[in-house]
Amino acid sequence: MMSARNFPKRMFLPSVLLAALIIIPFSAPLITAEDPIKIAVRYRLAAPDLQHWLGRDEFGRDRLARVLHGGQVSLTVAFVATTIACIIGTFFGLIGAYFRGPSEFITSRLSDIVLCFPPILLALLVVTLFGPGAGTLVAVLSVLYFPTFARITFSEALRVTSLDFVEASRALGTPSRRIVLGTILPNIAGPLSVQYSLTAAAAITIESGLSFLGLGVVPPAPSWGQMIRGARQFMNQDPLGIMIPCAALVLTIYAINFFCDRLRDTLDPKGASGSGMDEVSKPLALADAPAIKDPDVVAVINKLRLETARFGTSAAVIEDVSLTLRANQCTALVGESGSGKSLSSLALMGLLPGAIRQASGTLQLRRKTGEVVDLGFLDARTLEDIRGNDIAMIFQEPMTSLNPIHKISDQMIEAIQAHRPMSKSDARAHAVQLLKRVGMNDAEQRIDSYPDQMSGGMRQRVMIGMALSCEPRLLIADEPTTALDVTIQAEIIQLLQTLRQDQGTGLSLLFISHNLGVVADIADRVAVMYSGQIVEEGPADQILRDPHHPYTRALIESMPSSHEGLHSAGGDRLPAISGTPPLPSARPSGCTFRDRCPIAVHACAEIRPALYPSADGGRAVRCLRAPEAPAGLMNHQTEAA
Amino acid sequence: MTAAPLLDVQNLEKSYSIGRSGLFSKRSLKVLHDVSFSVAPGEVLGLVGESGSGKSTIGRAILRLIDSQSDVMRFGGQDLNSISPARMRILRKEMQIIFQDPYASLDPRKTIRAVLSEALDAHGLHQGAARGPRLIELVTLVGLDPSFLDRRPHEFSGGQRQRIGIARALAVEPSFIVCDEAVSALDVSIQAQVLNLLADLRAKTGVSLLFISHDLSVVRYISDRVMVLYLGRVMEVGPADRVHFSPKHPYTAALVSAEPSLHRENRRIRLTGEIPSPLALPSGCIFRSRCPYAQPACAETVPPLQTVGDQHQSACLRTDIL
Repeated sequence: MMSARNFPKRMFLPSVLLAALIIIPFSAPLITAEDPIKIAVRYRLAAPDLQHWLGRDEFGRDRLARVLHGGQVSLTVAFVATTIACIIGTFFGLIGAYFRGPSEFITSRLSDIVLCFPPILLALLVVTLFGPGAGTLVAVLSVLYFPTFARITFSEALRVTSLDFVEASRALGTPSRRIVLGTILPNIAGPLSVQYSLTAAAAITIESGLSFLGLGVVPPAPSWGQMIRGARQFMNQDPLGIMIPCAALVLTIYAINFFCDRLRDTLDPKGASGSGMDEVSKPLALADAPAIKDPDVVAVINKLRLETARFGTSAAVIEDVSLTLRANQCTALVGESGSGKSLSSLALMGLLPGAIRQASGTLQLRRKTGEVVDLGFLDARTLEDIRGNDIAMIFQEPMTSLNPIHKISDQMIEAIQAHRPMSKSDARAHAVQLLKRVGMNDAEQRIDSYPDQMSGGMRQRVMIGMALSCEPRLLIADEPTTALDVTIQAEIIQLLQTLRQDQGTGLSLLFISHNLGVVADIADRVAVMYSGQIVEEGPADQILRDPHHPYTRALIESMPSSHEGLHSAGGDRLPAISGTPPLPSARPSGCTFRDRCPIAVHACAEIRPALYPSADGGRAVRCLRAPEAPAGLMNHQTEAA
Repeated sequence: MTAAPLLDVQNLEKSYSIGRSGLFSKRSLKVLHDVSFSVAPGEVLGLVGESGSGKSTIGRAILRLIDSQSDVMRFGGQDLNSISPARMRILRKEMQIIFQDPYASLDPRKTIRAVLSEALDAHGLHQGAARGPRLIELVTLVGLDPSFLDRRPHEFSGGQRQRIGIARALAVEPSFIVCDEAVSALDVSIQAQVLNLLADLRAKTGVSLLFISHDLSVVRYISDRVMVLYLGRVMEVGPADRVHFSPKHPYTAALVSAEPSLHRENRRIRLTGEIPSPLALPSGCIFRSRCPYAQPACAETVPPLQTVGDQHQSACLRTDIL
């Protein structure tokens, strides 16, 4: 929670507004000395004057005094009732969700019963039975609103209870009471505070509504509903009379909502992430891209630089990334999380997140027609046409990319028809054809099943089939096997291999993965990324068998499968890289890997290494100490030694 | 094993009820069948299997985080099947868990100090003035800076969070930790750091681990013995290197050969078909529907675990093939 010391700035305005709305009615005696119930029929509906700022009502009572004193009643009733409802509801919800069993039954059935009554009818019933008055109102409103709190608490607490950190608390032997109040309750405070604001606002309106019907606060005691009721009859002669209590109602409800919205953001430990609006990335026009001459080349990324466009300062997330993707070739982009491998591929799809913009470099693609386009220049319409048609993509978790409420057949037919004008039955036949191609047995029947009726491996096959529906020239596979079991992973790799070989047009596969073993299985060329740069690139067998960059070497070395002789019981340790990759905003000078590099020298801090090509041009490495680095650069090396 | 086991589990079963098939009969889904194993003090037992094999369920059943049925479940001489909730709460000091997802396993609202203090408070350890030094000792032990204590989880990377999760488990000085896919979500370079940390802790504190993972190479490196599960049944159990390099069960062999590796020739045993639904398991050996060596006899009896070497057991009728 926030302490008074670091009171968040964004809470200031709503707090002041809410405090004012609560304090002003309760300091009514300081503002006006008028009695809210003193009748002076002589002055009925008198216009505002210096003594009576808001004029007088139909009985000549001072309106200012009435709206202030009425506010006291309305606010007290609403807040007391909401607070009682909140406490009782939260209590039932928490108990039900944490202990389950009979307490869950009681909570949900009790809520169901109360929720079955239309609120106004229930209120009318109780008020008729027990007579009107503020006390009855509080009781009615609390009973009315506690089920919503119980429901929300229950479902939210159920969600939180299933999280690992609650399980960890249980495993630690923390008493249940402490887990419920100390761990679960703070984590559901956000939705609860929103519900509180909605309920308080609703309670004020219901109170006003009941008072308006004459079932709430007993006249002549003032309340906002009472005032509306009285003023209604004279609306034509005296519109001010009805506007005053209405304005008071609107203002109060707005202040409460405003306050609770901000409170929810403040309670979120990560803090609200800015305005929530992304800056629109604008393509950068760079005309000096070299033309692709080789007809085998499907796409070229040239000196791509991507920057974050948030908070005024721009940090480069991708620096100087160049890649050539050829037909019939599989290029693997390898790296750890945050290295920028997925961003590079999203740039190719024209799907960069709004907060990232392309600062320089070019992305060129040869379309199926043979035309070479620069993806940075294209309008959204053309990009849409390219996606799916020329470039297709498959993702890590096929379940999130498939719509769970539609059959596979409908989703595939829609995808096919989006790019190819054909009848539904033709599209369906084509879809069955595709599923057979990706190795699905009895595709004719299984095409009509829903995604959740399939295993993870089968869903990934469906995704691959859909991606192939328009015979793209470039297939981007972003960690396509990471979520799958090893035996299934082996099958999918096998499938991708076959598809690449038998696609007529010559498919280029860009395979993104953190798993070097998988990469060794499938890739022809490998590009290793670290901290937004490609640090080593070349033929897969060369790079993986004889890495020249210390990071590639360390990555291979830290895999347990590289050390079949090592065993923890024998006291063996794995050769690990110390430290963690730097954040894009805090990359070291010179080489970005030097902080963690076992062979770094002084020069590494001063020179930002470029990607130095080998003599035959087959591979390249971004390291001053690699055999490919030009000799002149290493003058500093002797110092270090 | 000569020493008395720290943990002894016999015939562990777990089923979930999934609605009703008739008016009175409840349908149930059995996710663990007759699993027996023991863990010696200081031993690391690896548990491998694909999704749905029940490996995480075993970990949670031992910690009594979920209900299960077993003939024997003893930990440090105490019978977990008949233990009172109060005694169990005290016993929790001895058995801890490290989770897979470093993002879900820490309360986003608590500082690291609060997370670790909760562990100590639960058992009344290091109260008062001793608290501060102990917290610093814990974060240093897992390779973090003491200045991190007053930060919240979202300020840390995945690897750092995992270290905090390990520190929480270590805070109460347990003698047994369930590591449930504890390194699976980490990047390779960080995974090696955390594995080294676990190996060091094991050497330093003599803690026993139940190491659950789907990554065979990781399990081989860290474990003394490995148990291979398929759809809730034990397929093979034995010394780590033996299970990995000369598996006796066709499923283990397929699993090892399917694992992508930079260094091994790929003599892949290809499995056909999909993992059967737990609601419609094959009769006899549950692996037979995907097994390249299955015979008619495999459909008739559930193969028992047979000794195939020193401390090495395999549940396969076809002892002639591997």
